[in-house]
Amino acid sequence: MLIKLALSGMKSRAKDYMILLAGLVMSISIFYMFQTMAWNRSFTEANAVIDSIQLVYIMGSFLLSAITLFYILYANGFLLSLRQREYGLYLVLGARKSKIRSLMFIETIAVGILSLGIGLTLGFGLSALVGRLMAAQLQVTLTGYHAIYGPAVLFTVVFFVVLFGLSALWNQLKLARLQVLQLVHDHSQADQLWKSSVWKRVLGVLGLIALGLGYFSLTFMEQLREIGLFTATFMTPIGTYLLFMVLLPPFVAMLKNRNSLRGIRAFTFGQLSFRINGLTKLLATVAMLIALGAGAIAGGMAFINDAKIKSESYSVYDIIVHDPLPEEEKVLNAIPFMDRLQYRYKVEHGKLYYARADLEKQRPLIQSQSMQGKKDADQLIRITEKLPVGEAGSEAASSAEWDSFLWTIAPDQSMDYLILEEDKFEAIPVEAKSIVIGKTNDFLAHRASWAALDELSISKHKDGYMPWSKFQYYQNTMGNASGTFFMGFFLGIAFLAMMASCLMFKVLSGAAKDILRYEMLSKIGVRREKLIRSIYQELFLVFLFPGIAGVLHVLVGMRLFAFILEEPYYKLWIPLVLFAVIYFVYYMLTVKLYQNLVLAGRKKAVV
Amino acid sequence: MRSTPVIAIKQLSKIYGSSPANQFYALKDVSFTMQEGEFIGIMGASGSGKTTLLNVISTLDNPTEGTISIAGTDITRMKSGELSDFRAKQLGFIFQDFNLLDNLTVYENIALPLSLQNMAVSQMKSKVNEVMEKLGISLIADKYPAMISGGQRQRTAAARALVHKPALLLGDEPTGSLDLKNAVSLLETMKRLNEEDRISILMVTHDAFSASYCGKIVFIQDGRLVQELHRTGSREVFYKQILDVLGDYGKAAASAASPIFEASYAQERR
Repeated sequence: MLIKLALSGMKSRAKDYMILLAGLVMSISIFYMFQTMAWNRSFTEANAVIDSIQLVYIMGSFLLSAITLFYILYANGFLLSLRQREYGLYLVLGARKSKIRSLMFIETIAVGILSLGIGLTLGFGLSALVGRLMAAQLQVTLTGYHAIYGPAVLFTVVFFVVLFGLSALWNQLKLARLQVLQLVHDHSQADQLWKSSVWKRVLGVLGLIALGLGYFSLTFMEQLREIGLFTATFMTPIGTYLLFMVLLPPFVAMLKNRNSLRGIRAFTFGQLSFRINGLTKLLATVAMLIALGAGAIAGGMAFINDAKIKSESYSVYDIIVHDPLPEEEKVLNAIPFMDRLQYRYKVEHGKLYYARADLEKQRPLIQSQSMQGKKDADQLIRITEKLPVGEAGSEAASSAEWDSFLWTIAPDQSMDYLILEEDKFEAIPVEAKSIVIGKTNDFLAHRASWAALDELSISKHKDGYMPWSKFQYYQNTMGNASGTFFMGFFLGIAFLAMMASCLMFKVLSGAAKDILRYEMLSKIGVRREKLIRSIYQELFLVFLFPGIAGVLHVLVGMRLFAFILEEPYYKLWIPLVLFAVIYFVYYMLTVKLYQNLVLAGRKKAVV
Repeated sequence: MRSTPVIAIKQLSKIYGSSPANQFYALKDVSFTMQEGEFIGIMGASGSGKTTLLNVISTLDNPTEGTISIAGTDITRMKSGELSDFRAKQLGFIFQDFNLLDNLTVYENIALPLSLQNMAVSQMKSKVNEVMEKLGISLIADKYPAMISGGQRQRTAAARALVHKPALLLGDEPTGSLDLKNAVSLLETMKRLNEEDRISILMVTHDAFSASYCGKIVFIQDGRLVQELHRTGSREVFYKQILDVLGDYGKAAASAASPIFEASYAQERR
């Protein structure tokens, strides 16, 4: 009987439960996706660039768990609010509270099991799909990555069972404190209005300090290192929460007072000013999730960019070929070099000899000293220092620029070199060989040619020789960076999707209370289009505040990577646009769903 | 004969259910006019069709057949957007459960119909203050609905219904959730508005006491208008008359029910 009652109650509100279930399933599958990465140790070790990436993971895991906990509490609050009146009715009809309690327990568990099942299945699919997509896109193999991973499944199940248990307990406590009449008349309780107080002002100041500390540690991460990471992780959220709680309600109240006599806007802002009190904590959570999500994606992308910058500045010349074979010549001739130089050299008794005339006539490009480390190709200059002719170590033979250049192009870097006048060079009784070096305008555009040249160079040497070319270096850094990018993207999408569903959830769970208001407005003659516009406007503001805060966090937070990356802000607009698109989709979805909930009844009544 | 009637309804029917087998007439062939300045009550038992009639008049529901014109405008041919505008300009509503917006103050609630028409703030102020004064709620202007009493809420609702000077004030059991003292005070106010400001009021009620404040009562039964009762003497006499009519209907309904019951019983035995 009890189970039948519970099931029939759930069936009658199938649509609301769908929303609830969808949110939970999303949360679980995202959590699982994350766990597959966190627990696939072989994967993180093979793909991460820095050792302390494990620390980042632990931080990420902690944040995700905390946010999931909040999310589950919201979800279950939603569950309780759905059934509150019904429970009240049962109590009025003479059901015992213990019975209601077990009824509720059954429901929570049923929802939990169902969402765990669907969520995990979706999680497998999602992990496999995203994993494959990433691997294909980045042209790397994701070593050690498994979509279905035992420990991750176990951890996800244990984590969510504990969470559902906790929230079931929480609901029990909440129910025990409630009176029958409160349950039946839940709708009629009005929201509280915001009032200023000393306590709130103190909290506001504390929030500012906390956020300031957080931003400070993000900016000076390089100096603060691990301490900075911890301070930023704790202080930034605390500051965000406090400021949202203290600043947002009076701000909206101000908006409301300004528009209190402007027709539908009066209603829109009035609605918002009451709603905002219950929303501040969630909006702060959303702001944090946006920051983490967009930040993770931006971080991953910055790593990829960093790989490009680093390989670009690895050496000025894109290719160095010693003693080219005809096949190599063919490949070289097909490449449109902007600067192609050829030098003769001889090797005798473990010593390298260059002809002075070659070097003098074809002074190579180097990076101008002041601009070292920057990618700017315009800052390349020809070597101007005097050629160090004569014995190494003598006064005349010291030129740092030539030294470093000749060291770079040497066929064997352990040998000393000597620059000789033409007649002396000719006199050495060994056959002269040549070095070809070349620079193109776009290193990345000729990746196939570089790969082919590397290939030929390996086969030329035959003895397991690995050329340490610019292209090799590029491939290596890129491989590491793509692992990081993959993690960042994965995490970012997870955070973004979770935050948006959190917000959607909260807005929709309050919709039942608003139906009457919209009904009344339409009765006193507000056009449907106007009501719809009001909904768009109100929810736009709800979405806007955390959006702004989140983007601000990202802008400051990217400084975090300044100590490992060349340009942490590189192409930041891409993750920001990505975020904006995801966010906008959720905004539209929320508006549409909300509209269906609050305006559907009217449609039936009028048409 | 006065000019255009406030409400003119001709052969109005409202049918629920599409298939002929389970069609149900909520209103059947109702014709009815209301002149400007009248205070009319609609009475009837639950399910008699009085709320349907009010909904149709208030343009919230559309009739299956027949025409309705309010203040000279035929509302059966209007589109939903036009109907909204019409409601906003010509009609004022008082509902049983007040339907105030609990996120706006009393003042803002009352000003809402005006501000929806984009009226200038200064003009709005004088109108809202005037109507608040008339209904005796000036002191609670800045309070929120949750902070005031039921009677004050209903007065606020009445003020909101009147502030834009509608052609017609509609009440759906306006005293339904008020105690006697507040009900009397609201009814007295409505009567005063009707008599002094010549506001036309149409009110649905099932309570004879509330109805006795009206100038005319229309009784509705099974979707048909069955009787009209005009007030001639004092309110006390009118109240008795209403009770008598209701009593007659009660008796008639009881005796009407028993032969039907017996007939069907006999039919079944056969």
